Amino acid sequence: MKEGLTIVVPVKAGVPNITAVRFDPVTHNIVREGVPLMLNPYDRNALEFALRLKDKYGGKVITLSMAPPSGKDFLESTVGMGADEAYLITDRVFAGADTLATSYTVARTIQKLFPNFDLIVFGEETTDSTTAHMPAQVASWLELPYVYYAVDAEVDVKNGMIRVTRYLEDEGVYEVYEYKLPVIISVYKNSNPPRDISLNRKIQARLSGLVKSVTNNELKLDTFCVGLRGSPTIVAKLEEAKPIERKKQIFKGSPEEAAKWLLENLVKEGVIKA
Amino acid sequence: MSTAQQQRICSEWEPINKSEYRGIWVYIEHANGVIKEGSLQLIGKARELAGKLGDADVTAVMLGYNLGDLVKEPIYYGADKVIYIDNPVFSKYIPHVYAEAIVYLARKYKPEIILFAGTKRGRELAPYVANSLRTGITADCTDLDVDPKTRDLDQVRPTYGGNMLAHIRTPTRRPQLASVRPNVFPTPPRDTSRKGEVIREEFNEVIDPRGPGLVEVRSVVKGDELPPVEKSDIVVVAGKGVGGPDGVKLLTELAKELGGTIGGSKKVVDAGWLPSDRQIGQTGKTIRPTLYIGVGVSGAIQHIFGMKESRIIVAINSDPNAPIFQYVDYGVVGDYKDVVTKLLELLRNRKKG
Repeated sequence: MKEGLTIVVPVKAGVPNITAVRFDPVTHNIVREGVPLMLNPYDRNALEFALRLKDKYGGKVITLSMAPPSGKDFLESTVGMGADEAYLITDRVFAGADTLATSYTVARTIQKLFPNFDLIVFGEETTDSTTAHMPAQVASWLELPYVYYAVDAEVDVKNGMIRVTRYLEDEGVYEVYEYKLPVIISVYKNSNPPRDISLNRKIQARLSGLVKSVTNNELKLDTFCVGLRGSPTIVAKLEEAKPIERKKQIFKGSPEEAAKWLLENLVKEGVIKA
Repeated sequence: MSTAQQQRICSEWEPINKSEYRGIWVYIEHANGVIKEGSLQLIGKARELAGKLGDADVTAVMLGYNLGDLVKEPIYYGADKVIYIDNPVFSKYIPHVYAEAIVYLARKYKPEIILFAGTKRGRELAPYVANSLRTGITADCTDLDVDPKTRDLDQVRPTYGGNMLAHIRTPTRRPQLASVRPNVFPTPPRDTSRKGEVIREEFNEVIDPRGPGLVEVRSVVKGDELPPVEKSDIVVVAGKGVGGPDGVKLLTELAKELGGTIGGSKKVVDAGWLPSDRQIGQTGKTIRPTLYIGVGVSGAIQHIFGMKESRIIVAINSDPNAPIFQYVDYGVVGDYKDVVTKLLELLRNRKKG
């Protein structure tokens, strides 16, 4: 019988919003090389979710990320938070991937490196791309059930069953799903406040080489399925987002007059019924 | 076209013939006999895109159990056709089962475009469907257009913190998929005299017996609690300037009177005056209501990030130099307590009168 859970947490190195981003003039893709990368904040909620399951049921938590070689650094911080091992998928052939090609690379890597995984736990989305595509796309490649917006889970390790509670914010509803493992989960971004990153563990990760790099020499993925060539979508054009023109009408006067003036305008705009 | 097909593609993609794909699909999300507004809005947009393409139908796709007359509704809002599956398997929402059913229908009918409302469930289903069809998808679009020559869908979405707009295309694959934020397009008028074709499909695929799936549903919206900030057309937002929980209480009254909901700035949430799921801004929620009213909100850039796409922005603040006044349609400089109290009075009198 197997002991504990093998949980894989794919994470992303995001480009911080405050960074002046550069775009490739030909592909319009963001240039990630040489840019300081940070761990996508919602992936920390996902890692926390995974670590809590490990604390409760035993096993191990493995993080992995597809990123340029500089991604090793932020993967060390996932070990600092409590992951047992971390893998950096890094190869020039993976560059320029859209979500289909990225999910392919991540899904096939997990199958090759951790064929006996029980759970794949994602963050809800990334703050720099905000697509939330990855969990469903990886589920499609692996033909597994999946559930988004998870806030909690209970596992019956003996029978290999999981009960996932998820929260649908726009409907104000909790739903509980029961599946046989393995499954794919994405974690609701406002849940599972992450524990601190231990600097000691992070340094230990570096000294003992806990972050391993994997290239396509080992993975042997069809190069037409990855990177730019494996990406059906193209960024045809990028433009500066034009801020919405505002009326900027400012009222100064007595509270009575101000309230009346506001109401009149809001009725005129049709946002309050006449 | 034939040379494009002969080009080497990923060994896990089926070769396709783009010219076999025709028509625009809208996936119809519904609950308790009501179609979600976001889905209806997409029928309107699909109608417009179909007009530009010239020879494309608008088809609504529905899954459910005991659907009854609900299947006719999409026609009233502008669809030419409805394709639906009515099967006990869909009495419970299970993401991969729903997604597989849409994949099955798309393989059979070959639409060139499939649109999903960017609800929580829509954003969960769409990428699985796209991936299983080995095609591209764009999440959370804020605009859509078509190129009548190439029939490519131009998918516009904000990116990199909302500073840039990306135009994304899927030139070599079909169908082309997109999810679209609710409320970016208007809901078309309901016209019960419209006629259209309704097609019932069967779904006999074996569902992977990997467990019972959905086993429990619990509603958390209590009678006295206001809706979540993302769900409301009108959001009244408390800033640090409201001074404390009493200020928040007054604004909650205003929100109720307007039929809206209450939100808060980071400072208000950090102070514990409102729960964190009501925080608006970069580290909280992004909202785009019809009406945003910021009260005692100074307007830090992180907050602006979360509300700048609201249709009408109103601010009430005693500081005439508060940065938020740079972003408003209507601003009131004054003591918020007095102004809000008067506003409440006017609103209540209107109801009586």
